[in-house]
Amino acid sequence: MSRSLLLSLLTYGLLFAGIATVHGEFLALALPLVTYLLLGYLQAPEKIRLEAARQLSAERASPNSNVDVTLTVTNRGSNLEEVLLEDILPSGLTIRSDPAPPLRTSRHLVRLAKGESYTFAYTVSGPRGGYVFEALEAQVNDHLAVRRSRVRVEAQGRLFILPPVTRLRHIAIRPRRTRVYAGMIPARAGGTGTEFFGVREYQPGDSPHSINWRASAHYTDTLYANEYQQERVADVGIVLDGRLRTNEFARGHSLFEYSVQAAASIADALLSQGNRVGLLLYASYLGWTLPGYGKIQRERILHALANAQTGDSEVFSDLEHIPTRLFPPESQIVFVSPLTDDDLKPLIQLRAQGYDVLVVSPNPVKFELSYLPSSNPGIDLAGRVIHMERLLLLQRLQRANIHVLDWDVREPFDVLVKRKLGRSPVWLRAIGR
Amino acid sequence: MTIIALILSILLGTASLATGYLQAGAIDYPRWFLLLAGLWLIAHFRKWYWFSSAALLMMILAAAYGVWHGFSTVWMLLGVVGGLLGWDLSDFARRLSYAAPLDDTRSMERLHLGRVAIVAALGLGLALLSVFIRFQRLAFEVAVGLVLLAALGLTRLVIGLRK
Repeated sequence: MSRSLLLSLLTYGLLFAGIATVHGEFLALALPLVTYLLLGYLQAPEKIRLEAARQLSAERASPNSNVDVTLTVTNRGSNLEEVLLEDILPSGLTIRSDPAPPLRTSRHLVRLAKGESYTFAYTVSGPRGGYVFEALEAQVNDHLAVRRSRVRVEAQGRLFILPPVTRLRHIAIRPRRTRVYAGMIPARAGGTGTEFFGVREYQPGDSPHSINWRASAHYTDTLYANEYQQERVADVGIVLDGRLRTNEFARGHSLFEYSVQAAASIADALLSQGNRVGLLLYASYLGWTLPGYGKIQRERILHALANAQTGDSEVFSDLEHIPTRLFPPESQIVFVSPLTDDDLKPLIQLRAQGYDVLVVSPNPVKFELSYLPSSNPGIDLAGRVIHMERLLLLQRLQRANIHVLDWDVREPFDVLVKRKLGRSPVWLRAIGR
Repeated sequence: MTIIALILSILLGTASLATGYLQAGAIDYPRWFLLLAGLWLIAHFRKWYWFSSAALLMMILAAAYGVWHGFSTVWMLLGVVGGLLGWDLSDFARRLSYAAPLDDTRSMERLHLGRVAIVAALGLGLALLSVFIRFQRLAFEVAVGLVLLAALGLTRLVIGLRK
């Protein structure tokens, strides 16, 4: 019940009691309440017009890093005796309370004279995500709080907390088809490059440096020239598995953050190499980021990954519905998923359609065992059985010529990629290792 | 500052009612007013802010009961004013609790206490005036008519001010 309503009811109660009992003293009792109400209404602000401007110390931040939010509220209306300003925080963000004074909060009680401004700041942090600040709430009342008004003051702001990106030096992929632009992916075609591709008959216009003298010595009538493998850019589609059943585990543990981190790092590395990269989030819906090149595409993908969430859906519970038409034929597909047994068939089908498939799989067995009690023999046995099942699944994928990166998430991702996908040193390649 | 004023207001209200009842010979009631004061203070410090509205209602009912039984109107009036101040200051203390540590609450407290003191003084003054000034020749029907007119006027005024 509002304060003015309570006072009004009490006042009218006393007035009618006075009339009913013919006692003037009842009216006297009502007079202090009437005075309070009247003075409250007389002091009520005539016009509430507040404006606010928001400033963020950063629009892109890493998870759990501090971002300062500064708000300036200006009173464009009449004098306001008591204003309670409270910024509406997007869910997920938390206010960092610094133990040392001054304490900075998102709620302030102030007086704002006509034309006066008030600025306050506080610090937030949060997990990966896209956060939209929309408005702050102002509760305005007179000194006696007889009249209370709540107004929303628009103050827009956006904060992206992007997934951590691990710098990867090189990712060796070999899709069947490449694009026409020069890049770093071996193109299965002879031409200019650095890697030896083959020997062909010398053509007028070839550089004399390319003549293979050893081969030419075998034949007296013609010369032979070395051909190098062309290096071009490729189309890469990254598919991030956001299905709840593959990513979420008991006691609220989730592998999804690791999957997101892997997808972000791979996208960053492939875009740095000049490739055309697109991202498909496969969760309760399909989140498709159109393929593109360069830094702008990197931002698009990171923003999409910042907003990526796990989800459950009947339609996308298995990988049967991956829309392959989104990916150019014979391009590279990087599938980031902890994997389940049902995923074997759709992945093999992708491979059969001509795509070069690389599976990056955060290992769910080792992840689960890392937080379960190791002293329990039952858990140990179950872990070994599930581990063998997973090994079998990975072997089947490898037999289908699908490259699999089995990632124990306790190991840094860049170390794994360097070991498994990095370019081996020249001397090692020279001896065929 | 506000807390001290709140405690004093609650004590003023309940002690006035208790004195009024004691003077009239109702010796069983004052202990209940002391209990109400204690409960109100406990409720405030435990942040049961709804209790202040209930306490105000109880004090006004007690004052009305006292007036009905012919107890001293001045004490009853002081009880109502004390209850009203306690109710106001309890809500003000709640609003102040939302302030950030660096907000200038001192000046707000000073201003609020000043305004509330004026309201209390004005209300009490008008009420005492109405108690002591009596028109002996006013017929009851006229008095009722005036009260209804006052109620109507008050309603119109409140509606007008709200607009």
